[in-house]
Amino acid sequence: MKVKGRNVLLTIMTLCLSLLFLFTVQPTHHTVYAADDSLQKIKDRGKIVMATSPDYPPYEFQVSKNGKSRIVGMDVDIMKQVAKDLGVKLEIKSMSYDSVLVAVETGKADVAMSGINPTAKRRQSVDFSEIYYNGGQSFLINKTDVGKYKNKAALAHKKIGAQTGTLQYNLAKSKIPGATVKGMDKNTDLVLALKTHKIDALGIETPSAEAYVKNDHDLAMIKSGYKLNKNETGSAMAFKKGSGTLAAAVNKSIDKIKAKHLTTQYLADAGKYMKVNTNNTSMFHYWTYFAKGIEYTLIISAISVVLGVLLGTILALMRFSRSKILKAISVAYVEFVRGTPLMVQVMFVYFGIGIIVNLPALLSGIIAVSLNSGAYVEEIIRGGINSVDKGQTEASASLGLAKGDTMRFVVLPQALKNIWPALGNEFVSLIKESSIVSIIGVTDLIYQLNIVRADTYRGVMPVFVAMIIYFVITFILTRVLNYAEGRMKHAR
Amino acid sequence: MQDKPLVEVKKLKKSYGDTEVLKEINGTVMPGQVICVIGPSGAGKSTFLRCLNMLETPTAGQVLFEGKDTQKFSEEELTTLRERMGMVFQSFNLFPNLTVLENLKLAPIRVKKMSDKDAEEKALALLKRVGLDEKANVYPSSLSGGQAQRVAIARALAMDPECLLFDEPTSALDPEMVGEVLAVMKELAEDGMTMVVVTHEMGFAREVANEVWFMADGYLLEKNKPDEIFSNPQNARTKDFISKIINS
Repeated sequence: MKVKGRNVLLTIMTLCLSLLFLFTVQPTHHTVYAADDSLQKIKDRGKIVMATSPDYPPYEFQVSKNGKSRIVGMDVDIMKQVAKDLGVKLEIKSMSYDSVLVAVETGKADVAMSGINPTAKRRQSVDFSEIYYNGGQSFLINKTDVGKYKNKAALAHKKIGAQTGTLQYNLAKSKIPGATVKGMDKNTDLVLALKTHKIDALGIETPSAEAYVKNDHDLAMIKSGYKLNKNETGSAMAFKKGSGTLAAAVNKSIDKIKAKHLTTQYLADAGKYMKVNTNNTSMFHYWTYFAKGIEYTLIISAISVVLGVLLGTILALMRFSRSKILKAISVAYVEFVRGTPLMVQVMFVYFGIGIIVNLPALLSGIIAVSLNSGAYVEEIIRGGINSVDKGQTEASASLGLAKGDTMRFVVLPQALKNIWPALGNEFVSLIKESSIVSIIGVTDLIYQLNIVRADTYRGVMPVFVAMIIYFVITFILTRVLNYAEGRMKHAR
Repeated sequence: MQDKPLVEVKKLKKSYGDTEVLKEINGTVMPGQVICVIGPSGAGKSTFLRCLNMLETPTAGQVLFEGKDTQKFSEEELTTLRERMGMVFQSFNLFPNLTVLENLKLAPIRVKKMSDKDAEEKALALLKRVGLDEKANVYPSSLSGGQAQRVAIARALAMDPECLLFDEPTSALDPEMVGEVLAVMKELAEDGMTMVVVTHEMGFAREVANEVWFMADGYLLEKNKPDEIFSNPQNARTKDFISKIINS
């Protein structure tokens, strides 16, 4: 037992050390790397992987055709052309905007393309292609304010909204005197904030502003009037540092696209798709989106509940084992997992562990949520085991039953009954908290909800629908748990 | 009676931290003997009993089972010890998550590797013996105290022990239920079961025991035939205890 425990500790320590090694060594490793095989690798593989956040029409967004949704938009069309020029297939990975650059840095994707502005700060961590499109900067305002805010100067000392981490955010902060800049993750939320007068104007790329104005008659737009460096205001594709050969090949394609003025056509096509999306913005029309969201939310929750309970049980048994090492591992694990946010854990599993093993987003999400839930379940089970009368263990021992059998047949069944309400609580919160996996692009309910909001230009209704769906799921689960609790009543 | 003792207790001591519960106990249990351990509460009677099947580990001294030191037992030998030396608790300690029948079957199946069918047959026979065969499929929560304790005895008997330890088996019972439990115990004694019984039932001790041990303050102060100890106690503490019980 002791030797085994030491082995486990050794394995964990080795793993931690190698992880640390990978993280610290990686950057230098790449700058020193002589042969740049970024292009060759894609050609050998026969496909190029693009990371994008498809909630930004007309650059990238989702359309549903015959119940199947796909990602379209100008960026997608450009990337298709690039893939064609390279002679490879295109695979699109969708995720939250916050994650697309991390995805190329960690090798989850070859190229990030999501209307990204190549700011100087970003250039420190990734390589950029040439600017492929320069949409310019605008402000969205409420139509009722058209007379009030005629230009940038009128926005001084006002509340300006912008997507967190974007050029628009930084510009509003540095170039509008006295402005309060409010950052949010999604333009859909910002538009809602604008319409409810929580902000006075919204800094946004001109093509997006145009799309909103076209689809929402309460909104108007004004030119930003920023004097800007052309290299920073357009959109470019991002690559992992040291992808010179890939960038060169992609730039060649971009030059061709620019020369043929293909983007005009791409934007027109995107406009057509957007019309399809906004033709019918009733929530019923988008039911397939929600259905898919429910499916993934349920898959993640169901598997994570099972794995979480399994892990929690093992951790609880380790906690009660005589081996000090096993006990210490269990305590340390629980403390650590409970002391870090689930969101960070999800990103760590997907991007961090992704450096060693390339895990798909869904699997990463399930792993992270299970690992997280296991820690909480351990605490619940530990409490349950402690709640079982000591006389039960003694009676079992006096009959000659082994420790394992005592746990399995006597203590755990009684503990389970005592902890059932707490466990049910954990299941319900797991379903809700699993929504965090949307940041790495798992198409769960929250992710789908944001897609619907982006597609329909309706800010509130999809949120309301998702709220009802979550409630129905958890309500049904609670009924099932209560029924099971009733069936266990006879025990004592 | 055979000559070799089943259990020998030599200079047994047990303390919890600074509290010395057992100061020095010496005694021998012969096969077939029924020993009743009496004495005021806090004397260490229960602790002494629990040292016999190693639910408590002695601080010093020895408990020998068939001449072998129980403290040197491996996990496996300990299991065998407990198989052969059953225990009945004051608070019954039936498993509430299992039916009466399952309570009886669990250990024979898991420990003795008995088949489910054999275990069930045996369990039903034992339930019949304690007069509770019609309760086989109910859960312990629906039993009265007296019934629960009889089931607990049957559960201990399901392992075919050679010796049974009783830790105040009737103390938690309503007075009208004491009789039914004592009747079962008396029957066991008549069938030749070796028994060590910690009890306050002096009538039972007088009638059934071969030997009565009087314990006080962590010492085994006096052991004798029941008639002797009740009518002619030697030790001052014993005298005091007996007179109090008889006058109450």
